[in-house]
Amino acid sequence: MRRINSLYGRNGILKRVFEKPAKQSHAFLASRSFSTEGGYGGESQQNSSSSRVKIFDRELKRRDRAAWLSRNKNDTFVDAVAENLLDRLEDCKKSFPSALCLGGSLGPVKRLLRGRGGIEKLIMMDTSHDMIKSCRDAQDDNSIDTSYLVGDEEFLPIKESSVDLIISSLGLHWTNDLPGSMIQCKLALKPDGLFLAAILGGETLKELRIACTLAHMEREGGISPRLSPLAQVRDAGNLLTRAGFSLPGVDVDEYILNRETALATAAIYDSMFATEDGTIPATFQVIYMTGWKEHSSHPQAKRRGSATVSFTDIHKQFGGQS
Amino acid sequence: MVRISRVMLKEAGNAIDKTLSEILVCPLSKQPLRVCEKTKSLVSDTIGVSFPIKDGIPCLVPKDGKILEEDGDASKAC
Repeated sequence: MRRINSLYGRNGILKRVFEKPAKQSHAFLASRSFSTEGGYGGESQQNSSSSRVKIFDRELKRRDRAAWLSRNKNDTFVDAVAENLLDRLEDCKKSFPSALCLGGSLGPVKRLLRGRGGIEKLIMMDTSHDMIKSCRDAQDDNSIDTSYLVGDEEFLPIKESSVDLIISSLGLHWTNDLPGSMIQCKLALKPDGLFLAAILGGETLKELRIACTLAHMEREGGISPRLSPLAQVRDAGNLLTRAGFSLPGVDVDEYILNRETALATAAIYDSMFATEDGTIPATFQVIYMTGWKEHSSHPQAKRRGSATVSFTDIHKQFGGQS
Repeated sequence: MVRISRVMLKEAGNAIDKTLSEILVCPLSKQPLRVCEKTKSLVSDTIGVSFPIKDGIPCLVPKDGKILEEDGDASKAC
């Protein structure tokens, strides 16, 4: 990595680059979505004491998502995440007769499900009516009884204890109240129901985040966030526990996409992260979360003091040599 | 095959299907919803809000809901 000082010699390039909007990254550059209710910058300092700061403009995301997803019918990255998430259903002995699929990437989930998890009734939910309609009109040849619904994850319109499985592929990271949404998911699950989610993690687009921050500092003397704030890996486990899921599981995958047309994003991006062949990497960190609604069949810790054999004896029996 | 399912969808367009009617609740109060055939909407009586059903897809985003004005009007409309 080159030294940051070298950036100051690149004024000309920086100027040119900033005049061009970066087309590739508009889906993740959420500068406009920070503008809700007092903004995320200066004024939010006063609001930060209340938990009602709206970071994401859900109305904006609603339109965005429909337009964005319908254009890229088969996105390899989204497909890879959906496939990875659905693969987990094969690890479960249990079958899930009724499943709720939350927004984000509905199409790929529906397309790649291929009878996994023994799902008989599938409910597809998204905040965008257009998205749901295009999903319904896709007419995949599967025999699953599918219902469609427009709803917001922050206000889940599902009755308590009514579904066996909730899948959310790349949708929940854009909720303002992630813990609240997850608690609502947990309530909607039947006992021993499974919650399966993939969200983008804090390492996502780190190159762009760093490049934007440095460019801001250089040009404007201060920084304002240009990318959606995302959950960190260590938060994911806490979120699952806080929402009351038992047997929580979290794992992380990183996808690095090489975008050749995004070269115009910033000269800093280029100078700090560019590879030798002229392309620039873009990291996507995906956090996978699994959790179960509590049930008597889950493994439990034994009562304290209920052991009949002491650790010293076990040590003598099996590992005496050390 | 595709045509048949399209027709079926069209017919089912007015009322929501059984799976949904069993599990849907009001997104805000989590109380049961009432189907109003006349206005093609789902009514949450607890908070006096009606949610539209567009093309057979119920729209339960809080912003899509319409507040029913007067009690008298609401009972007339539905």
